Amino acid sequence: MRVRLNVNGEIREADVPAGTSLLDVLRDDCGLTGARFGCGHGICGACVVLVDGQPTPACVTGAETVGDRAIVTVEGLSKGGDLHPVQQAFVDEDAMQCGACTSGMVMAAVALLSRTPDPSEDDVRAALAPHLCRCGVYLRAVRAVRKAAR
Amino acid sequence: MTAPHRPTVSWAKETERVEQRIVIESDGTIVARSGKVEYGQGIRTGFARIVAEELAVPPERVRVELGETDRVPWDMGTFGSLSTATDGSALRAASIFARHLLLSRASTMLGVPEAGLRLRDGVVRAEDGRTVTYAALVETDPLVGVVPAGLIALSASIVDAGPSRLEAVEIVTGRARYPADVRLPGMLRGHVLRAPRLGSRLAELDERDARAMPGVVAVVRDGNFVGVVAERGAQAVAAVEALHARWESAGEPSAEPFRSELRRDGGVDAALASAAHRLSAAYHVPHISHGSISPSAAVADVREAGADLYVATQRPFGLRDEVAALLGMLPERVHVHPQMMSGLFGRGNMVGAAADAARLSRAVKRPVLVQWTRAEEFAHSPQRPVLDAAIDGAVDANGVVAAWRYRVTTNPHAYGGAQGPPRIIEMTSGRNAEPPYRLGRVEITLSVVPAAIRTGAFRSLAAAPNVFAIESFLDELAHAAGRDPLAFRLGMIDDPRLRRVLETVAKRSAWGGRPRPAGRGIGIACAIYHGTYVAEVAEVSVAADGQVRLEKVWCAVDAGRLVHPDGARNQIEGGIQQAASWTLLEALSVRDGQVTAATWSDYPIATFLDAPRDIDVEFVGDPRTPSTGVGEPGSVPTAAAIANAVFAASGARVRTLPLTAAAVRAAQTTRP
Repeated sequence: MRVRLNVNGEIREADVPAGTSLLDVLRDDCGLTGARFGCGHGICGACVVLVDGQPTPACVTGAETVGDRAIVTVEGLSKGGDLHPVQQAFVDEDAMQCGACTSGMVMAAVALLSRTPDPSEDDVRAALAPHLCRCGVYLRAVRAVRKAAR
Repeated sequence: MTAPHRPTVSWAKETERVEQRIVIESDGTIVARSGKVEYGQGIRTGFARIVAEELAVPPERVRVELGETDRVPWDMGTFGSLSTATDGSALRAASIFARHLLLSRASTMLGVPEAGLRLRDGVVRAEDGRTVTYAALVETDPLVGVVPAGLIALSASIVDAGPSRLEAVEIVTGRARYPADVRLPGMLRGHVLRAPRLGSRLAELDERDARAMPGVVAVVRDGNFVGVVAERGAQAVAAVEALHARWESAGEPSAEPFRSELRRDGGVDAALASAAHRLSAAYHVPHISHGSISPSAAVADVREAGADLYVATQRPFGLRDEVAALLGMLPERVHVHPQMMSGLFGRGNMVGAAADAARLSRAVKRPVLVQWTRAEEFAHSPQRPVLDAAIDGAVDANGVVAAWRYRVTTNPHAYGGAQGPPRIIEMTSGRNAEPPYRLGRVEITLSVVPAAIRTGAFRSLAAAPNVFAIESFLDELAHAAGRDPLAFRLGMIDDPRLRRVLETVAKRSAWGGRPRPAGRGIGIACAIYHGTYVAEVAEVSVAADGQVRLEKVWCAVDAGRLVHPDGARNQIEGGIQQAASWTLLEALSVRDGQVTAATWSDYPIATFLDAPRDIDVEFVGDPRTPSTGVGEPGSVPTAAAIANAVFAASGARVRTLPLTAAAVRAAQTTRP
């Protein structure tokens, strides 16, 4: 099956077996490993990318169902050498330990700030609730997202 | 007889040579080498800061090489919150020695005494303005020699500025490379068929359907090991599902239980019988899963001449030796390359995916990536052991404990099961079984029995489960004797550092201040873990239906000299958050020798919505005392602090984890 995807503003094509997930196409065919495999069930949030601006778990999204909608991965956030404000805020607040959940959280935060420029703490918690972190950086991540909003 | 706790075991290496630790490259980069690994605890940054501090360069100028088995000194493994205390000290000593060597050479070269030289930003400068770079000083004559003993930090000041985490930009841009992100030319994907339960034997295998699946390159069988290699990961997983296997039980594991008297003072029965207040209680801590966000993954590239392993592991050298034995190679021909790692918390002591990938790569003579599924990770990881503690205690008329009998039964907390050397079993499965208090007459008995499922190392080993039981029971004794739980503890503590963290956390949390509203309560607990002192106060609210919400945690820590204060704070916060999740939510159910959880829906952990509104951490250590660890200590007293807070809020004494609404309701109806 040939899939044609709009990833980070570029058209990417790949021949993949029918039913291949968007996550596998990104990681194995596009060389974009920033979206992480975590559970394969769309529960942990490690693989979340933006599809037309919506946070979407790529592991349970069939690549052929995306069509020409715009996909943005964590690799597509920083322009030139500059970090996206959300990325910069995560660095500044050290809102990470192992980093396995960070890509997904950053994407969810970018989507939140695009529709809610100045979110409350509860807004941030609700928007990031689908993202599991085992290291326990939740409070730092909340701080980082609110800092990025300012 | 009243020694409050055993001395910490020394893991120090025999002889340190500077060239094994510190290399100055021609561009001025300082390479620092350690056999420890980084999985989110921040030691790469910590080590860089130590070396940078002693050699007067910015931390970014230091390249820390961790766990590369061909290049770094041998190391037992990254566990026990010991990296900063051991390898951090070794790197500091090597850096101080390197500084002495640089000064001596610069003194000769510039013809001025050492006292007139200053080191800054990779340059030695004389008072007359002449300079020489570190790189020039080692250009033809690298730094070598045995690092003298006794070199410790001179400065009492700690800098909290500088970069947060050296990997931070790689992480937030997605460039950080974990084992599952490694891509080698010609690389294939592998997946392994798992035995349904411990000790199962493969009786029959029909692999015809699997071989016919799309993308399949090989089905590999070697005794009980069966794996599939395919072009794509999903194809390998699908082909393993198409294998028809019949397993038979090899019978129950026959391991003998291990039993040890950790302490026996004598006279416990008499002291229990004569005291004013006597209590007995039993506590239970269930199996839980490490729950690393990334399931195990590894890439192996096995050739005739040797093997390269791209892995997440806590034991690079142990992994090297085990895979070498598996492949029949000399250990020196197996090269372990630790990648970025999802938080492991003990999970990374087992070889797992690396051995799978090595066997498959050997069979197909190409690099193979093995990525476990979430279901495999739940079912086949070594889990945290169950722990059962039966405690009898008595408080005398003066309000101090006169007798303490602690009988604890658990499963193996480390590899080697219940068969290893007794001292190792006591250090692992018996960790923190002895409370840091004067408790009068004391008896402590440890039993280690095998579980139906594989168990292994989990953050702090037996410490967090033991401290849950011990600190909960102390709370019960305090209430039985009509004493304030904080004052009760302080009355039995000799160690001023433990006293200080308790007093600090009490002050921060306004312990003993205005009463909390109905349904709210605070609880206190403390521990000494591998030389780190930690005390916590938890505040909870308990709803009418028994649902517990963690509102806030205060924590005071004495970890001696801090290397990276904000990094240490992050570790303590994370330990508390993770332990709150264990305490309030987590238990693995096991049926017929099998873990039943397969997805995060079956095994919920704390989310952003469960996180408390604040975790307040204060460090009170003296910068002139040696650094101790912060990776595990934060997680150790949390369960007891929460359980004690639930009692204060609701009158429910829950002695079995997790602290679910149902458990709280049940405890309310059977109040002590």
